[in-house]
Amino acid sequence: MTTKTSLLKVILLGDGGVGKSSIMNRYVTNKFDAHLFHTIGVEFLNKDLEVDGHQVTLQIWDTAGQERFRSLRTPFYRGSDCCLLTFSVDDNQSFFNLGNWKKEFIYYADVKEPEKFPFVVLGNKVDVTERQVSTEEAQRWCQENGDYPYYETSAKDATNVAVAFEEAVRRVLAMDERTDHLIPTDTVKLHRKPRSAVPCCS
Amino acid sequence: MAADSVHKVIFEHEGVFIHPSSDEDTIEQDLLVSGSLRIIDKDGEIIVEYRPLEDTVDPSNMLCAGKDSSSVVEWTQCPGDRSHQLLETQQSYETEWDMINAVSFRKRPCSNREGSLNHSHERTRWALTFSVSELRSITVKEEGWTFLICKLKEASTPLPALHFHQGGSREFLESLRRFALLTESPDDEMCLLVSTPNKALSQSFENLLDDNSFGLVHKFRKDPYVATLGGFSKVTNYIFDALRGSEEQHQRPPEEVADLLGEVIPGLEINQQEEPGFEVITRIDLGTRPQVMRREPVSVDNWTKHQDPEGRMINIPHLKHTIFKGGLCHAMRKEAWKFLLGYFPWDSTLEERKALQRSKTDEYFRMKLQWKSVSEEQERRNSRLRDYRSLIEKDVNRTDRTNRFYEGIDNPGLALLHDILMTYCMYDFDLGYVQGMSDLLSPILYVMENEVDAFWCFVSFMDQMHQNFEEQMQGMKTQLIQLSTLLRLLDLAFWNYLESQDSGYLYFCFRWLLIRFKRELSFQDVLRLWEVMWTSLPCLNFHLLVCCAILDSEKQKIMEENYGFNEILKHINELSMKLDIEEILQKAEGICLQIKSCKDLPHSVSVILGFDSNISSSDPTGCGSPPAPRPIQRQDVCSNGHLRKNSSHNSCKVAFIS
Ligand SMILES: Nc1nc2c(ncn2[C@@H]2O[C@H](COP(=O)(O)OP(=O)(O)OP(=O)(O)O)[C@@H](O)[C@H]2O)c(=O)[nH]1
Ligand SMILES: [Mg+2]
Repeated sequence: MTTKTSLLKVILLGDGGVGKSSIMNRYVTNKFDAHLFHTIGVEFLNKDLEVDGHQVTLQIWDTAGQERFRSLRTPFYRGSDCCLLTFSVDDNQSFFNLGNWKKEFIYYADVKEPEKFPFVVLGNKVDVTERQVSTEEAQRWCQENGDYPYYETSAKDATNVAVAFEEAVRRVLAMDERTDHLIPTDTVKLHRKPRSAVPCCS
Repeated sequence: MAADSVHKVIFEHEGVFIHPSSDEDTIEQDLLVSGSLRIIDKDGEIIVEYRPLEDTVDPSNMLCAGKDSSSVVEWTQCPGDRSHQLLETQQSYETEWDMINAVSFRKRPCSNREGSLNHSHERTRWALTFSVSELRSITVKEEGWTFLICKLKEASTPLPALHFHQGGSREFLESLRRFALLTESPDDEMCLLVSTPNKALSQSFENLLDDNSFGLVHKFRKDPYVATLGGFSKVTNYIFDALRGSEEQHQRPPEEVADLLGEVIPGLEINQQEEPGFEVITRIDLGTRPQVMRREPVSVDNWTKHQDPEGRMINIPHLKHTIFKGGLCHAMRKEAWKFLLGYFPWDSTLEERKALQRSKTDEYFRMKLQWKSVSEEQERRNSRLRDYRSLIEKDVNRTDRTNRFYEGIDNPGLALLHDILMTYCMYDFDLGYVQGMSDLLSPILYVMENEVDAFWCFVSFMDQMHQNFEEQMQGMKTQLIQLSTLLRLLDLAFWNYLESQDSGYLYFCFRWLLIRFKRELSFQDVLRLWEVMWTSLPCLNFHLLVCCAILDSEKQKIMEENYGFNEILKHINELSMKLDIEEILQKAEGICLQIKSCKDLPHSVSVILGFDSNISSSDPTGCGSPPAPRPIQRQDVCSNGHLRKNSSHNSCKVAFIS
């Protein structure tokens, strides 16, 4: 099991302009392009890495953050193994919206057990001095919403970017070991009541 | 309303009018009731409510310069000198603005209608409220604008027609579709029959399926329109998937993504089954593709030869044809684009154009003043304006920043890009700013080097592109479906391959279509492609043939490498900046000729490319060859699952553009 390479799909979600594409590019090409276009449609890049002896190919998906494009973005949530909820520490609104992104993801990715799904939260642009979201605030949100790992990143100077992706991989692998174990005993249906926290369309 | 807090407003649109004079043909300006239309979720009951306007003022039409503000008009003298530096222009704008800012404002004299319907009881007389479940039908009519006639199940007298003078009818219907099924009446294609989803049905679905299908059932309940219009076959697929359990977990995601995209783009999934009632395009022999040559760009000399002494353009078909074949030399673009985009009428004299520019300048700055004069306080209470502004600011900083016109930090090009986009929000507040629009503006501003001209040219371009950016992105859906139809005709094998890879809906062309290849080509090539497209030659929707031409060049690689869903998307994304525009245009024109000379062209294809009417007989270009007679098969079936044969579908769509 440790010899084969597994393909993991991770998706970057968050408001427009928080730096999703910059983070992806930093991680995959180790470059920061200040002249990057805003994203239209959907893109993805692959990156091979080894985490704790596991060979992994990460397929990183990046979408456009604007509300208008939701219907063409959400189909790509399917099959994600991990979701990186991203905000920018110099943009309060992007932080407040984390909850909506999470709901949108759970709903459209059709996650079977939302409370167990591996989310990782990224507070990007820590290199900027005028912060609007404090580390404590962000950590509190992560704790209260499912004890998600939180990383303060900078795509610009590469702070914590690789670390965050590696943590994402670890979370997924930890999940997989559990489910691998579960498959033979699949006859035991886990009954789950529909949760009321479903996002609203408006 | 007292209980506003428990109501959720689902849709709201101002500028909906009732014409109290019952005669629909004579619309007298002074007999209009203006008001706002809303869809409200009132404890689960969906209510449509029309309320005549009291004094609610929306920021988009709140302020305009007082009549005494002559400075706006004076400004028009400025753009005369051609050699001005951008920076100077910008400064002169700002100085002008200092003057304008000192001018007093007054509330817009809300046109003459205020006079006749002054008393509030007169207005409230026209208030309407009904529940969606009471609705029997909605008839869509078109008279330069769209108006809707709602009929209730019980009422004997019809409700007054709702006139969408300021657009929004499509959005209204789209919003309704979230709660009711709107289907074309068999007797009257303009009449949509309303039925509200059967709660019991979705309930039983829920019981039928266990937790596995939670997502589906929820989707079904939340979005009955999408779920049901996706077809019940779609639903059964889901059920099937859900019941199959998770054993195929790793095969499923691309398939599921494709399924969901199929729902987003209704109509496409019908292709998969060759259902009775749909025209099936079988392999048609298109014959060989003619080789065409591109020509030299139109020179300044060449352009002036097409101008009479007063400045009217003459021999326009010939001129357009030469532009189509070779584009324009860069020096000519600034002038020629204004004609191509329809800002300048071809038959206008130089004098008339100067007058036009003067009045358009005035109009532009009136709108610019509207957002410029919104105070921070006001903006705090106006989330839509705030959102538009924040998006624009973010995107302006990420548009063509390597182009000398927009590079660096304090480049005046950036400020102009920003200001024009903000003013466009005032011009069309319903649409506002949507990502992608900065890409469409950037080349135009680069060519015009003038704020006002760029704005109006952009407005014309947006008129063509508007649907791409609307809430439901109907334009995108229609284009993807049309492209699929064309590709299927041109290359059934490739289309089948894409289909087998769950890519038959051509999602990977999304960016191409949304912003007309702006991100795929080098900046200079974008200029060339756009001017060629704006000639409207050699057929309708030529840009779709451009897509086909590019795909034609890539298909070999895609099929040989056996690319799947993800790889296809990636491959197409990565074509960006690697394409050769002249080669593509050559091929696209060749494809056009090839299709044109095909004898048994499916009707749907003729409609898409506009070969249906008698355009071809007056086609000055003839695409280089005499138009072949095209006996169009008249079948009483829907064509290809895309466009319905009797074109009711089509005309309906047209009617919805308001
Ligand atoms: N200072 C700083 N700027 C950053 C950082 N990451 C991104 N940016 C800048 O923030 C802006 C937005 O970055 P993008 O990567 O385009 O944002 P996005 O989330 O992909 O946005 P959309 O594509 O619109 O959804 C760009 O101008 C980047 O240069 C960062 O870590 N530090
Ligand atoms: Mg991006």
